[in-house]
Amino acid sequence: MHILLIEDDVQAATYLIKGLEECGHVTDHAADGDDGLHLALSGHYDVIVVDRMLPRRDGLTIIRMLRADNNATPVLVLSALGEVDDRVTGLHAGGDDYLVKPYAFSELLARLEALTRRQQHSGLEQQLQLADLVIDIHKQCAYRGDKPIRLQPREYRLLEFLMRHADQVVTRTMLLENVWDFHFDPQTNVIDVQISRLRSKIDKGFNPPLLHTVRGAGYKLSETP
Amino acid sequence: MKRPELRLIRTTAVRLAIKLVLLYGLLVSLVLGALYWISSSHIDEQISHELESELLVLQQMYGASASQQMIDHINQAQLLPEHIYLLLSADGKKLAGNLYDWPEDVEIAFDSKTQGVWVNDEVIPREIHNDDAYWPVVAIKLHDGSRLLLARNVEQAESLLELSEFLIEAMGIAMMFAVLIAVLVGREIVKRMDIISATASDIMAGDLSLRVPVSNKQDEFDTLANRLNAMLDRIQQLIRGIREVTDNVAHDLRSPLTRLRNQMEVTLLEPRSEDEYRQVLQQSVDDIEVLIKTFNALLGIAQAEAGNHRSLWGRVDLHQLALDLMDLYKPLAEDKQQVFEVHNGDAAMIDGSRDLLAQSFGNLLENAIKYTPEGGTILLEIQTTANYVEVSVSDTGPGIPDAEKNHVLEKFVRLESSRHAPGNGLGLSLVQAVASLHKAKLELISTYPGLKISQKFPRQQ
Repeated sequence: MHILLIEDDVQAATYLIKGLEECGHVTDHAADGDDGLHLALSGHYDVIVVDRMLPRRDGLTIIRMLRADNNATPVLVLSALGEVDDRVTGLHAGGDDYLVKPYAFSELLARLEALTRRQQHSGLEQQLQLADLVIDIHKQCAYRGDKPIRLQPREYRLLEFLMRHADQVVTRTMLLENVWDFHFDPQTNVIDVQISRLRSKIDKGFNPPLLHTVRGAGYKLSETP
Repeated sequence: MKRPELRLIRTTAVRLAIKLVLLYGLLVSLVLGALYWISSSHIDEQISHELESELLVLQQMYGASASQQMIDHINQAQLLPEHIYLLLSADGKKLAGNLYDWPEDVEIAFDSKTQGVWVNDEVIPREIHNDDAYWPVVAIKLHDGSRLLLARNVEQAESLLELSEFLIEAMGIAMMFAVLIAVLVGREIVKRMDIISATASDIMAGDLSLRVPVSNKQDEFDTLANRLNAMLDRIQQLIRGIREVTDNVAHDLRSPLTRLRNQMEVTLLEPRSEDEYRQVLQQSVDDIEVLIKTFNALLGIAQAEAGNHRSLWGRVDLHQLALDLMDLYKPLAEDKQQVFEVHNGDAAMIDGSRDLLAQSFGNLLENAIKYTPEGGTILLEIQTTANYVEVSVSDTGPGIPDAEKNHVLEKFVRLESSRHAPGNGLGLSLVQAVASLHKAKLELISTYPGLKISQKFPRQQ
C-alpha cells in the first residue's frame, strides 16, 4: 500500500511510519495541514491517515477539500478527542473510518487494510469463495464443499464480513462495529465466543481450518494461518 | 458595604412604596383639582348670575341713583344669609349695607360683571366673617355718583377648598405611613438577604457544608433558601464524586502504572534473551490495554454525565436493540449453561442515544452473565405502559445486599465478593450516567435469588 500520513506529532509519526514500512507499506509523511492537503491532492495514495487537529488546516477540512475535488481516496481519521460524537462528525465530513487515540497499532493496520480492500470489491458479487467455503450473497447461505452450513442470520453477517476481508486481519472492534453496529468496548470476551461458535460450524470436520486467531490483533479468514 | 440607609432605600419594597405613593398622590391631586375646578366654576357662574340679576333688578326698581327706597331695600335684603351689600354716597359716606367700608381692591366695572376679589377683614363685620374673604363681587357707580356693591359670603366654595385641603393632608399622612411600612418591610428583606449573602460568603470561604437557614414562615425567602440548599447539596455531591474519582484513579491507575514501570526497569537491569524481552513487551502491551480500557470507560462516563451526546440523539427502537444485544450475548450465556431470554412487549420507541443505551444494557448483561452461576437464568425484559418504557435485566445470581445498593453505583466500587472477577468497577456507574442522561429512573431490586435492575424511561408524546 502507498499511505499518506498527516500527523503533526513527529515522534508518534516516526513510530507509525516505522511500523507501516516494516509491514511492507510505503508511507509519506506531512507534518501540517497545508502540506498534507497538497500531497493528498497531488499524489496517488491507496489510503490517507489524517489527524483531526493539525496546524494550519484541520483534518476535517482536508477531507472536505479532497471530496470537493472528487478525490475518493479512503481516509482514516485519527483523533485525541475521543468518543462517539466525534466519530459521527468525522464520518460526516467524508472520512471512511475513525480511530481514537490511544489506539493499538494492530487496530490501525487492520483498518487500513480493510479500507483499501473495500475499494477492490464492487459489492455486486453473487457469491464469495475461499478454498471450498462459499457463501451465496443473494440467498444468504453458506456451503463448505457441497455441505450446507446452518447459520443464524447474525452468524451469516459475521461470516460475510470475514469473507469480504479474507486474508486480512480483522479486529474485535471492527467486528462489533460492522456486524452488530455497536460502538463500545465490551469488558468480556463476547466476540471470541461468537468466533468460536462460527469456527465450530465452518471448520469442524473440514480441512484445512480457515478461521485463524491472530495473537494480539484479532482474526483472519484464510487458507494459511 | 454601602451605608445601611442607602441599602434600605434601594430595597424593592421601599422603591415600590415610594413609586406607589408618588403615583397615588399625583392621581389624587389630579382628581381633586379637576373636581374643585369644575364645581367652583359652576358655583361661581351661578352666583355671578344671581348677583348680576339682582343688581339689574335694583337699578330698574329704584332708578339709577341712591334713593331712600333703595336704602330700605338693602336694609331688608342684607338680613338674608350670605348677602353682602354696601351703598356709599358720592362723598364716600355709608348709606346702607353690612360692610364697614369700601374694600380696597374692588374696582368699579363698567360692564357690571362679577369679579373675584380679596376683601380685607377690616371692612367685614365679625359676625359675617372673621378673616379676609375671597368673594364674588359686583360694583357700579350710580348716576348721582354714589357707589353700590353686592357680594356673597360664599361658604360653599370655601368648604370645598377646605375639604380638598383635608384630603391633601390625609394623603400626606397616608404617604408617610406607606413609606414607614415600606421601610420596615425593606429592613426585614435586607435582614434576610444579609443572612443568605453571609452564608454565601462563608461557603465561598471554603466551607461547602454550610446551608442557608430556613425559617418556618414558608414564604418566598424559604423557597429560595430551600432551592439554594438543594443546589448546594447537588454541588457538594458532584464535588464528592469528582474527589472520589480522583482518589480512585490515583489508586486504580497508579498501581498498574507502577507495576508496568518496575517490570520494564527490572528487565533493563541486565542483558536478557530475546524471548524474555518479547515476553515482557507483550505483558506490557496487555497491561497498557487494560489501563486504556479503564481510561476510556471513565471518559465515557464523564461524557455521558456531561450530556455531550446530543448529536447522536434520535429515535431508538428498544425492541430491536434488545434483539441485537441478545444476538451478541446469548452465546456467552450459553457457554456458561445459562438461559438467556428476551421478553419484548409492545413496540418501544424512545428518544435517546442508541450507542449509549447499547453500552449501558450491554454492561448490565455482562454483569448478569458474569455473576450468575452456571445453570442460572438471565432475562432482558421490555415493558411498555402509558407513561414509561421499562427495561430490566434480571438474573438469578447472588444479588446485591440492600445496604450496598447505592454504593455499587459509585465509580470503581467492587463488592468484596467479586474482587476475583475481571472488571474495573465502572460498569454500573456508566449505567447510572446513561439512565440519568435519558431521565430514566434506575432501581436495583432484590428478587431472592438474584437481582433485577430496572430502568424506567419516560415515554415521549
